[in-house]
Amino acid sequence: MSLFLMIGCSKILDEQPRATFTPEYFKTVNGVEGGITSLYAHLRNIYGQAYYYNACLTGTDENTYAQSADGNFKDMDMSDAGQVSSTSFPTSIPWGESYSDINNASGILENGSAVGINPSLLAEAHFFRAFDYFLLVQTYGGVPLDLGAGELKFNINPVRTSTRNTVPEVYTKAIFPDLLTAINDLPDVGRVIGGVTKTAARLYLSKAYLTYAWWLQNPNSIPTYPAADRTDPDGHDAAWYFQQAYDIATTAIENPASFALQPTYYDVNYAPNDRNSEIVLYADHTESSEQYNGGSLSYGSGGAPDNFAVWMLTWNYTQIRSGKDASWSGTVSSVQRAATQDLGRPWTRMAPTIGVIENTFADKTNDSRYDGTFVTVFRGNWQLAGDATQTYYNANGLPVHPGDPILTFLDEEPATAIDYSTWGSKSNVGAGALPGRADFVISPEGISRLRYPGLWKLGTYRTDNGEGLGSPNAGTTRPFNIAKFSELFFIAAEAAAKGASTTAVSGLYSNDGTAKGLINIIRARAGMWRFDNNGNTTKIEDNSAAMIAATPANVDVNYILAERSREYYGEGYRWYDLVRTQKWAELSSTYRIGGAGIGDHTPMTITRSIEPYEYLRPIPQGQLDGMEGTDAEKDAYQNPGYN
Amino acid sequence: MFMSISIVAQKQKSCRNLFRNMRVLAIALFTSLSFFSMSVYAQTGLKVTGKIVNESGEPVPNASVLIKGTSTGASSNAEGNFEIMAAPKSTLEVSSVGYETKELQVKQAGNVSVTLRSAASSMTDVVVVGYGTQRKEAVTGSVASINGSTLREVPAPNITQSLQGRLAGVQISQTSTKPGATMQILIRGQRSLTASNNPLIVLDGIPFPGSLSDLDPNNVKSVDVLKDASATAIYGSRGANGVILVTTDKGQKGGKAKISYNGYYGPQTLFARYPMMNGPEFVALRKASGIYTNGTDEADNVNTDWQDLNYQTGSINSHDLNLSGGSETGSYNVGVGYYQNQSLIPTQQYTRYAIRTSVDQQVGKLFRFGLTSNNNYNISEGNQVGTGNFVGMSPIASPYNADGSLKRVVHLALGDNYVFTKDRVDSLSDNGLWLNETRGFATYNAIYGEVKIPWVEGLKYRMNLGLDFIQGNNGNYKATGVNSSNVDDPSTAGISNSQTYHWTAENVLTYDRTFAQKSNLNVTALYSAEQQKYNSSSMSAKNIPSDDFQFYNIGQANATDITVSPGGQSYNVWGLTSWMGRIMYSYDNRYMISATVRSDASSRLAPGHQWHTYPAVSVGWNIANEGFMKNITLVNSLKLRAGYGQTSNQAINPYQTLGLLSTRPYNFGETNYQTGYYVSQLPNPNLGWEYSETWNYGLDFSLLKNRLSGTIEYYITNTKDLLQSVGLPSTAGVSSYVGNVGQTQNKGFELSLNGRIIDGGRDGFTWDAGVNFYTNHNEIVALASGAQKDEGNGWFVGHNINSLFDYQKIGLWQEKDANLQAYEPGGKVGMIKVKYTGDFNADGTPARVIGADDRQIMDADPKYYGGFNTRLAYKGFDFSLVGIFQHGGILISSLYGSGGYLNNLTSRNNNVNVDYWTPEHTDAKYPNPAGPLSGDNPKYGSTLGYFDASYLKFRTASIGYDFNRSLIKSSTFRLRGYFTVQNPFVMFSPYNKESGMDPETNSYGNENAAVPLSYNMRRFLTIGTNTPSTRNYIVGINLSF
Repeated sequence: MSLFLMIGCSKILDEQPRATFTPEYFKTVNGVEGGITSLYAHLRNIYGQAYYYNACLTGTDENTYAQSADGNFKDMDMSDAGQVSSTSFPTSIPWGESYSDINNASGILENGSAVGINPSLLAEAHFFRAFDYFLLVQTYGGVPLDLGAGELKFNINPVRTSTRNTVPEVYTKAIFPDLLTAINDLPDVGRVIGGVTKTAARLYLSKAYLTYAWWLQNPNSIPTYPAADRTDPDGHDAAWYFQQAYDIATTAIENPASFALQPTYYDVNYAPNDRNSEIVLYADHTESSEQYNGGSLSYGSGGAPDNFAVWMLTWNYTQIRSGKDASWSGTVSSVQRAATQDLGRPWTRMAPTIGVIENTFADKTNDSRYDGTFVTVFRGNWQLAGDATQTYYNANGLPVHPGDPILTFLDEEPATAIDYSTWGSKSNVGAGALPGRADFVISPEGISRLRYPGLWKLGTYRTDNGEGLGSPNAGTTRPFNIAKFSELFFIAAEAAAKGASTTAVSGLYSNDGTAKGLINIIRARAGMWRFDNNGNTTKIEDNSAAMIAATPANVDVNYILAERSREYYGEGYRWYDLVRTQKWAELSSTYRIGGAGIGDHTPMTITRSIEPYEYLRPIPQGQLDGMEGTDAEKDAYQNPGYN
Repeated sequence: MFMSISIVAQKQKSCRNLFRNMRVLAIALFTSLSFFSMSVYAQTGLKVTGKIVNESGEPVPNASVLIKGTSTGASSNAEGNFEIMAAPKSTLEVSSVGYETKELQVKQAGNVSVTLRSAASSMTDVVVVGYGTQRKEAVTGSVASINGSTLREVPAPNITQSLQGRLAGVQISQTSTKPGATMQILIRGQRSLTASNNPLIVLDGIPFPGSLSDLDPNNVKSVDVLKDASATAIYGSRGANGVILVTTDKGQKGGKAKISYNGYYGPQTLFARYPMMNGPEFVALRKASGIYTNGTDEADNVNTDWQDLNYQTGSINSHDLNLSGGSETGSYNVGVGYYQNQSLIPTQQYTRYAIRTSVDQQVGKLFRFGLTSNNNYNISEGNQVGTGNFVGMSPIASPYNADGSLKRVVHLALGDNYVFTKDRVDSLSDNGLWLNETRGFATYNAIYGEVKIPWVEGLKYRMNLGLDFIQGNNGNYKATGVNSSNVDDPSTAGISNSQTYHWTAENVLTYDRTFAQKSNLNVTALYSAEQQKYNSSSMSAKNIPSDDFQFYNIGQANATDITVSPGGQSYNVWGLTSWMGRIMYSYDNRYMISATVRSDASSRLAPGHQWHTYPAVSVGWNIANEGFMKNITLVNSLKLRAGYGQTSNQAINPYQTLGLLSTRPYNFGETNYQTGYYVSQLPNPNLGWEYSETWNYGLDFSLLKNRLSGTIEYYITNTKDLLQSVGLPSTAGVSSYVGNVGQTQNKGFELSLNGRIIDGGRDGFTWDAGVNFYTNHNEIVALASGAQKDEGNGWFVGHNINSLFDYQKIGLWQEKDANLQAYEPGGKVGMIKVKYTGDFNADGTPARVIGADDRQIMDADPKYYGGFNTRLAYKGFDFSLVGIFQHGGILISSLYGSGGYLNNLTSRNNNVNVDYWTPEHTDAKYPNPAGPLSGDNPKYGSTLGYFDASYLKFRTASIGYDFNRSLIKSSTFRLRGYFTVQNPFVMFSPYNKESGMDPETNSYGNENAAVPLSYNMRRFLTIGTNTPSTRNYIVGINLSF
């Protein structure tokens, strides 16, 4: 026996994992493919993650915080409700999530090239590394290219130091070369559903050129960090980059491959039409597999990788009450939580401002985008909860039936004053009544932090609801859209508005190539109706001509930004758009909304103070805590203005 | 000191029997302490026979009867009888382990009766020290021991509960109140930041890979805890957290077959409800907060007690049957045990069946072989049901429809809630619609063979072989719509299985010899190898096609509904090979030294770093045995000892040096499913051991004819090269790596005292008492790279590993307080006022608003801990109490803090019944419900969950009666009955005073709260919504014949 043990001794000390991989696996073809899958899966940690989403929107002209907001939302508001700091979670997410992805991409590129992986596959890693660096440089300014093993090298050293590169270095050494390689090597049609393409790479390169051009030009003297001259190491100027942005964007428009604009705006965001030809990049989800969805299909925890962004902009409509009889001797909850695109799980953390309803979407008649963005009519669905009652009683004691409007957010102020005083507390949400109407109503001026139109375009949608309410508490199983083909028109238009010389665009989307010409493609499509979403009825109308007629002669940056907000409201573009164009303070310094109580019907005007230093987010405290070094060195690492 | 010593004259019983002329014969014998044969010789004298019994009249087997001044002796048999030839007027010394030695003079031949009194001092005990035993008198390290019968004074499902408060320096904390749960054991505090702080457990000499809940406490003969490094160094790389040596019962050599039965039964009742609001209180709160309006199923005139609707009376049932016996050359012990605990929560229960065997056989003069086998099968059921399901339910919602039927869901202010009642849960379980069961099977086996080397006196070779197998199976099923507001919520089923295979082989060479009657030398040499393999697998599915399948055929679900997650499968193997040498030398019972060297190699470390050597040395001086102490009769024994040693903590998981890819599943469209991989952990080819250096100083004493004995110890442990998951800056591309960084220190003082306060003899009034008291001051000395703090993990240099980093509540803002808006923009009177640490302007206003800089570091460890026990006996009756106490420190209650969502004061769901501020009642402890919120809780709401952790708790109060004193006059048939109340009461606990609840923790930090602490704060034990604490009333009997 002893003899046997002696022989066994050396073997006892050997290790061979059998249920997990070590980084050696990246030296195989399967390992590289698995690594690339992880780059896609990683998108979910940012896109659909509601706190990141909040950082993109709250504090801009699109959103403010709502009644149930905690510090994560109030801090982002830029009003005196809170303050963005190095310990703010929402602003830390790109920083916390991107470097591991970058390192993974570098590992794939190093090992993959060594074992002869097809360049078209490796191009996906190039794309994502550039994608991550582009997100970082827009959010924080200059960021490190060397993670510990050298610039853009796969890091396997546990280093606890870091040096930030400058903004021009990040663009010219990392983002541009990676995306140029990606454009060259990526296929026209994705390798997999949702896989990245030449079009995706062109979209991001043109946007990166556009963003860098703005940075070089710096019209409003917004500071950068680490300090860098506004000159390009490659010897070009802002105009050259605006032109490049224009050229690449229009090339992509002229060569759409499998991409196309949807016939109506409604179709872009209509859940059964998800993953349509207009969507260039998305963080995918599924309702058929809990494991591959990455989150529970019955009860979401409120964390990545779930797609739970839309909960924030969903107010608690389940508080709406209807009467059991005409005299309201008892009440029922007539709009219940359901897994449908207009309802879903309410968290009441973010709200649109009144300005969005009244100004951004001033035209609610020709332009289908207000109807295709918001839920303005909340309909009775008690029958889905198994309540067979046919009739309940609502505003003015009038009867309502399943499917009838219970509460309507009016398009504009009604001629007759709304009776909030009688019905505000009965409706339980501060909604009022208009003579003869059975539905409760709230006018644009009555929108408050407690109640506001829902965000239909990102709404929860499931095909497994059966006859019931479904599973509204799970994260939404729809893909979260990150980039759309339509944005190429905005990028080219913005470059044109900034002086890029224009040429006529040919092909399916032929136009004169000017900012106005490009924007009119988008506006014309916005005039196309096939369904009245909030009216819940077919509506086939072509208001393209009216839309084009309303386009101003001079399509300037401000107009493009307003148009962007109509097209992409609530999708998480806004903070980056305003920061790129240096228009954040100009467009967001005040907003109007009602208070958080049921009885609040008078809008308040809130002032925001947005300082130039705040155009860069703070380096997260976790980074500084994790670094070795003196306090002075750490202070020098932080963006100025944050402490 | 809390004991007063009163001395009662001790009446020495003299021998009444006279002896006639007889020849004296010395017999060869085995004593209970050694297996060495002695020489045989004969001598003329008187034949003395007798029976040796203890104070309760039970025979004392294997007692030694020695003719004083000679080496001639005899020993008692299983019935306590002995026979010896002794010269007239010689003196017999009668001794046995655990009893005071008694002397009697031989006057004439014949029969004598000897009653031995149990020794108040345990100095004569033998303690298990690892790879051998040692007389307690000769021990130089820090070893705390407790025997099985003392442990069983606290009837419990496993020994962790019984050990709580019994041994100084052994801190045992409750981590769960679910049936069958074991407790957390910390020996001399925690020293490791991220590696395990669990002690090594050794069962019958073999490192134990299982859970202590697998061992039937009825079968435990003794528990010996090695506390300092000089004692634990023999376990080298696993000694740093202390070692618990569990020895199970063996048969008695030469004993007749004996059957014993121990059983108890009793109801389990609620110790205290969770202190929730009733209907009217809740209505008042909803009004005061003004945020929520009643849901459609809520009405102000309803008053529902959801806890009442859900709790049941639980029960405890324990039965244990044992057969033991032996021949002159061997012994055996066979037993079966059954334990069941039905909890207060419907369907929640734990059942254990245990079977054990031990056999020991001498073969010829040189060989011995033996086997011990401990096996158990246990089932935990109903752990998916919890108080969290209903304590927060609105008390103004009725669970019943107008027709008296039970509602499926109630519509509350913030949505629908599934209705829980005991009847519903029972019915779901009876119909197989909602169940969760974990079945464990474990077998722990040790086999040994021993041979005396015939040509070297005192030299033995022993081979120990340990073979263990542990299996766990979980199955769970939830039918469609159960426990969900959504009636169509899909059914789910899951299974998981795990297997552990563990073997140990030890080759031990022992040389034990006494030279010149004064020098005792014991040398041990060891070579051992050990390996453990673990693997687990799990899968789950949704939409099970029929409820009949439950979890038994997950494959019946649609393929896309089946999940076999890569993270749910695991495999690891680790091995350890070791060399160890130990020398224990004592001279004249006065001077002792023990020296150990152990070398360990572990597979868990990278090649080149696998071996490490651990030295330890300790010395002892028995002052009482010195000539100059001869005349000091007050002191019976007095020993000083000191030790130094180095030990390690090998609790890093296998494969940590290799780096790791984690998985990210993803769907490309609806049907293309793929698994992604990313680097989540960097390789660290330099990973080495975390090691602790301990200095230990001790004093053992026994005074006043051994009626007062005790131990005082002081230690310093420095733990270096802490195995720590070092948080890397995000820019490294990987979040962390496991490295050797940082340092902690533990310093502590321990005192234990045992005394016989009143000694009334066999039939008089006797009062024994014992108390232990200890401190452990824990401090982080250094963190990674000179950092002073790690806020993310809550670690701060100069503070406890358990320190909180949060605001400090100093009261509530009142109308009279100035500058509220300057401190708290948007603040409101009645909100929580926290400590401000910033500067002030000239006008007295604060220079800044209250913010993150005002968070304080608060050490959470109690100042001291201890336990006490006392026993009163009169004739056949005895009454005993066992208790524990601790003072200071911070108790975290997630009920009162913000994580539980039970004290958010918004009336979103039911609230703990607290004294909150209103404009009419400003002198309150809790804030204004209409005050500012942070998230869903009052601003700074987490501070409401911190309480003073002090308490004193009576664990058991027991009254027993020995039926042999009156009813039963048989000397072989023994019967004792007792009645025990567990958890009778709690004192000196601010938390108990406010809430009425048990102040003992019941959850890890990341459990049993709506929003529990993050995983890296799991180390904090908290009170959350686990199964409520119980008060138990137990009736039991001990029977043997």
